Formats: sequence, C-alpha cells, structure tokens
Amino acid sequence: MANPEEEEGEEEKYESFLSRVRRTVYVDELTPHASKSVVESAFSQFGTVKEVIFLPNYLGPKELPTGVLIEMESEQKAKAVIETVSQPVRASAARPAMFSDRPKKPGRRIQFRWVDPSDDEFDKAQRVKRLVRKHTAEAAFMIKKQLEEAEELAKQQSETVTTHHKKFEMIDKLTYDGVAQELAGRYNMKCGPPHR
Amino acid sequence: MREASGDECLEFKWGKKRIVGGKKKDVQFYESFTFDGDEYSLYDSVLVGDANEPDSHELFVAKIIKIWEHTNKRAKNPRQVKLLWFFRPSEISPRLLEGVQDVLAKELFLASGEGPGLANVNPLEAICGKCSVVCISKDKRNPQPTDEEIESADFVFRRVFDVGSSRVLDTIDDKIAGVDVMFLFNRAGSKQEATNVQKVQEDINVNPDSLKLNSLPACVSVPETEDNSIESSDLRESSYSREEGKEKGHSKLAEERSNKDSSVQESTVHLKDHDVCEASGSRGNHCDGNKAQEREVTKQFTKLKSLPAEERYSNTCEDSDSRVNHSSSEKPQANDVKNPLAKQKSMLAAAGERYSKESSGFDDRPQKKRKLDGSDGKGDTGSFKRPRDISSDGKRGSEAFKRPKDKETGDEVPPEKPSLVKEKRDLGVSVSEGRDAKTAKKPSFDGRLLKRAEELADDYERGYQVIEVKQKPDAVNSKWFRPLPWEESMREAEKEERLVLLQNLDPTYTSDEVQNIVYSALNEQSTARMIERTSVTISHTGEALVIFNSRQSAERAIKRLDKGCLLLSSGRPLVAVFAKINPPGKLSSFYGHTKLQKTQMRREARDAVSTSRGSQPNTLEYAMAMEWCLHRARSDHAFQMAIKRQLEVKKSLRVNFKAKLP
Repeated sequence: MANPEEEEGEEEKYESFLSRVRRTVYVDELTPHASKSVVESAFSQFGTVKEVIFLPNYLGPKELPTGVLIEMESEQKAKAVIETVSQPVRASAARPAMFSDRPKKPGRRIQFRWVDPSDDEFDKAQRVKRLVRKHTAEAAFMIKKQLEEAEELAKQQSETVTTHHKKFEMIDKLTYDGVAQELAGRYNMKCGPPHR
Repeated sequence: MREASGDECLEFKWGKKRIVGGKKKDVQFYESFTFDGDEYSLYDSVLVGDANEPDSHELFVAKIIKIWEHTNKRAKNPRQVKLLWFFRPSEISPRLLEGVQDVLAKELFLASGEGPGLANVNPLEAICGKCSVVCISKDKRNPQPTDEEIESADFVFRRVFDVGSSRVLDTIDDKIAGVDVMFLFNRAGSKQEATNVQKVQEDINVNPDSLKLNSLPACVSVPETEDNSIESSDLRESSYSREEGKEKGHSKLAEERSNKDSSVQESTVHLKDHDVCEASGSRGNHCDGNKAQEREVTKQFTKLKSLPAEERYSNTCEDSDSRVNHSSSEKPQANDVKNPLAKQKSMLAAAGERYSKESSGFDDRPQKKRKLDGSDGKGDTGSFKRPRDISSDGKRGSEAFKRPKDKETGDEVPPEKPSLVKEKRDLGVSVSEGRDAKTAKKPSFDGRLLKRAEELADDYERGYQVIEVKQKPDAVNSKWFRPLPWEESMREAEKEERLVLLQNLDPTYTSDEVQNIVYSALNEQSTARMIERTSVTISHTGEALVIFNSRQSAERAIKRLDKGCLLLSSGRPLVAVFAKINPPGKLSSFYGHTKLQKTQMRREARDAVSTSRGSQPNTLEYAMAMEWCLHRARSDHAFQMAIKRQLEVKKSLRVNFKAKLP
C-alpha cells in the first residue's frame, strides 16, 4: 500500500521520533500539584528543556502520581538527568510506547481477520479475551493496593514528623526560657546558653 | 450600565493632604497616596513606563516632587504628579559622558538645571511601581548610606546632569526644580523600601494587566481581589503568559493614556466589549478539525495558573473576536477591516474560543447535549457534532453553536432584525473564524496577541447588547488543569457513551493505526488515542481510547468484538468495553507530601519537584525518604512480577493468526 517514497518518509519520521525518545526523560512519581513551568524550571538546571509533556491519567486511580516526559536537548543531557535525579521523583529513559502521538513504525502493516466461530481458534481467542480482562483487573488492583500502602506510609510519616517537631519545639522553648540551664545546673551538666 | 471609573479596581487612596492651591482653589495637593497596593510619598523614587513605546521594557526612574488632584470634574487627568527625572547613563549621549569618571553599574544622574527633560507632569496612573534610589554623594548634606543599603538599592546616584548645559556635574545646587535638595538626598532616618527592581519589573507586568483587565467586571464572575493577589504570585510561573500580558498591558496603558478619553469611558467601552465578546466567544464554535493545530493552541495556553488569568486571556482573544466581528460584518457601520490581520485574528479567535470554551466550564455541555439529539450528525472523521443553530434568523434559541465546517455561513444570512444583528455577527464571525481556524496552519501566538491588544483601544461598536455570561467558577476544573482538546472530546464522548476502551493491542501501535483498524475492521469512523505505557501500566499490552461518532456505533463495535473475535496480525484478539475515565480536576493532596505547617519548617521542606541533592543521612528527612524508597521498590517489584506472570500465561494461550485451512 505504501509506495517506497512514503516508506522513506515514514522511516525518517520514525527515526527522528526515536531520537526524540532518546532525548526524553520519563519522570515518575511527580506530585499532581506540579505545574509545567515548575517542572521546566526544576529540570532546566540540567540543561535546556525543550518540551514538557504531562502524561494524562485517564484510566488509573485518581491518586496516581503524575508522570511527565521531559525532552532535553541531547541524549547526554537526558542521561545526566536520569542519573542525578533523586528521590522522591524517579527518572528513567523514555520509551516509544510512552508517546501517544508517535509516528508508526515504518513498513508495518497490520492485518486482521475475523475468526469464524467454527474455527478451532475461536475458543482460544475467547479465552484470551477473558484473560485480558482479568489482567487489567489485576493490574488495577495492584495499583490500588500500592496507593493504599503509600497512604499508610504517608500518614505514619506525618505523625513521626509532627512528634519530632513537637519535641524540638519543646526543647527550643526550654532552652529559650532558661529552664534547661537551671536543670543543667542542678544536675551538674553542661548546657548551652539560651539562644535568641 | 457600567459607570465604573477606570481604576476603581486598582485601589487608590489619598494619603496626607497638604494645601489647596490653584487659581480657583480647585487643586488639592497631597503628601502621599496609596496606589495598587503600594504607598508612595513625596520624594519617593518611582518607575514610570514609556508612553511612546508601550512595548518596551525600559522604564524611567523619577522622583515624585509634587502630587495633586484637580477637584473640578472636568479635568482630563484629575490626579497628577510632577516627576523629577533621573537619567540613566544609557540615556545620555556618549560624548557627553566623556570625562565622566567611574560610572557605576546602577548609577543614575539626577536631572538638574533648567530646560526640557528636567521634570514633567504626568497622570498619576503612569507610575508603574516603586524603586529604591540611594544617594551616595559625599556631600555633607547627604546622610551617608550604609554599605548594605547601597547593595540592596536598585539604583544609586551621586551626580547630576544639567539639562540646560547638557553636562554631568559633581556639585549639587541648593534647589533643583524648585525643590530643596535636602529632600532629594537620602532621608535621614527613613528607610527607602528596598524593593527589588526585578520584582517591580514584574509588578509592572502585573499592573498594566490589572489596569486593563481588571476593568473586566463581574460578568466573568471573577473576584477582583483574587486577580491582584494571584497575579503577583503568578509572576514566576507562567512566564510566557506574563510576557504577553505585560506587553499587552503596556500597549493598552499607553492607549488609554494617549487617548485622552476619560478613563471612565475607555474602560466602560472595554467592559462592554468584553461582555459581548465573552458571549460571542462562548457561543462560538469549537474549532475542531485540525487537531494538531488545536494541540498547539492549547499547549500555549496550557497550565495557566488561575482562572482569572484564563479569563483574561480568553477575554483578550475575545476582544479580537469582536474586532473580527466588525471586520467581517457586512453592516455599513463596521469598522475598517484589516484583512491580513483577519486571519491572524481568526486564529487567535480560534484560540480564544477554544479557551473560552474551556473556561466556560461545563456549562455549555447540558445545552449541547440537548441540541445534539435533535441534530443530524455528519459522520466526518474527527468531527464532533455540534448542533447547528442560526439564531440570526431567530429560528432557534439564543445559544448558538456553529460548526466550522458548515456550509452555510452567517455572513450570507442577511441580518434581518436589528436586535439580532449582534448575534448574527457573532455567528458570522464564528463561522469565518472557524473556517480560518480550520484551514490555518499552526498558529503562532507570540506576537499576535500583542498586536491584538493594540487595536483594541480603537472604537468598538457601542450598540452591543451586553449579555451576561456567567462563568461557572469551576472549582474542580481549575487552576492547574487545562484540558487538551482531545481530552475534551473524550469526556464528551464518555458522557454520551461513545467512548470505548480497546484493549489487547500491540503496545507499539499508534493512534492512527488504531483508527485505521477500527475503520477497516468495524467500518466505523473514529478517533483514537493510544494510552501511554508507563510504569503503572501493563507494558506488554496496549490500550487505546476510541471515540465513536454515536452511541450506536460504539455499541455495535463492542458487540461485534465481543461476540466474534477480531484477530490482529500479532495474534491478539481485540477486547472492547465502554470506557470509564476519571473526572477532570486535580487532587488536593498527594501521598508522600506531609504538610508541614509554617511553624514546623525547621529544615528545608522536601519538595518533590525540586531535584534535591542527596540529603544527609542523619536527618529525619533522609530516614523518611528511605522508607519511601523501600515502599516504592517493593511496589514496583510486585507489579513487575505480576506482569511477568501475566505475560507467561498469555504466551501459552497464543492464538494462531493464520487461519488453518479447513
């Protein structure tokens, strides 16, 4: 169907797409609050950011962290980003499947056929279909579980933080008030002067 | 109607009064005033925009040496200030600077002597912001500033430039422009606000914006105070939009000033038109068709921060709508058409409409749906049906939707009733815009928006009916989240149950291929979008969201794929279900970001976006971060295992593509 010229054009497009992919970093676990410009500025410390594409989350659960595709100037820059970006975001190399607007693989032709019910394969195909549905459900479930765990963890951590902070506050207050010094004196221990 | 005075929205308050003067005792002098949140006093240094070059970023620095207001109503610019100028080295011709030693980077020269360029009277509204100018002259009358003050000041000055003799002088007289120099030196004891010029610059960007656009009234249901506060915080974020806003604002400012119309009228006019344009914009067509173009458009506008900001832009674009209104109208009183601009405007309008459509939220949806049932759909690829409505004929209701591809043009329909004229023109506009939008290549908006702004100040059609378009303040569909065009249609489709999730595709398929498949196998037109494979999706199988043209076709397709088996060359039978997608809007919380109250911030708050350098192992944050890492690693691992297992199972069930010959 496609004449050779078209093929060539396709090839080129695909090639350039691939190079784009290589230049792009896939960043995961991003807060949904991050806006495009924030992301841009954050990543511009590695080099010029050519493009930022937010991956929309249509089907997954709402609490899923955002994914972003960040296209850098060159492959090296992309690699640098991947290596240096630390928690909690995650960066990895992008894959073609991450771009929803990608050009198609050149020279590929898709064929199809309707399977006849009398065909042996029909049953198999039906089973596959059911399997697919099962898999989707499984994946969704897993993700849900993950998110729940994350929530748990977050709660835990916020508690820890608050208690720690309270402790610090208390200590601060005591030193400020001079209470700590008194106590120290009484127990013959050292204590720093009250700081402003 | 709107009796709004031009700057009712920019807060202004007089400060201390002084004497009353003037020949007829109708001039009240003041010592200070508050304008747009800043307080200005006599002898403060301020930044002033250039009225001749509205788009320039160059601002002049001046000292306020007199403030007054004409109390008689007839005055064109009731509030005025006399400004004593500072000269930047760049403003002085180089040869005059020869022999002038040590010009510092932020040094200015105070104007002195007599002649043009010393001081000017300006309307108070010309002031763009405050700045700090510290006098570092060693003159004994000058209270010497500290090093810190010099460092933090925006500018410094120590010498004067005599405008009469055009020379830089080191010695300063006793009086300059009738003002005792004691007032011009540093004020003992009083600190000048060290506002960062940068910030002021941005404020300047903001102010003209607010000046202009704040005059948009509640018809857009945007609280004004919100505008101000949001703008200042907006500044860093959307730099692109700021750029436009600022320049646009500048030009408008200039226009307002230069027009000598009372600001009252000016803004009244603007107000009216915004209303109208709002109406025309919101009822305008949806620029579909050229998907790529739309993407481009909305990319430009994506992620604008606040609803008011969006209103602003949609309104500007809609302003351009109204301009096109005029230009494409056949009415004799239409203004001159600038044809080459028409196309630009149409593209802008396309964006504007797109924009206003979005910003008008889902208000329009229920109405559309109603209409949809009645209308006949044209099954174009990628066209989404919009009811055709020709309100100019007064046939149907006042909501007018026009499909850009419609053959009938509002232009051709003769304006029958004068009261409906406006609406017709709107339609005429929307059609022609839609058309243009459709045919236009990717519009580039950087320069265009600015130009639009400049034309706005010209006369509008005053006879416009003002239609209140209540924007639904969509709290959900808000600040951060601007839907992409495809997304919009997708949600539409979901509502109308035309959205189908196609599963078990090869993950390397593209959206186009999916569309082709649907067409060839199911004989249905559709638009599709492959869902990206990310770390949270199953990587060995592909999915796509497909929008069919009607519920029936979607149902048909699903039925066929269910009952029968459509095998693709990769040996995968397609699976289809009605898709259910997440409602739009952003989350309010995100796991993993523990909200620390202000007082709790003893250390740097962990920000997920900023790529933090490795934190030290002995902090609490580090420990917490490690926990997260652990959690995430576990989840990932589990997920991957599950997927691997799935893959194996699938492999065992691989269906032969090649049919066995019977």
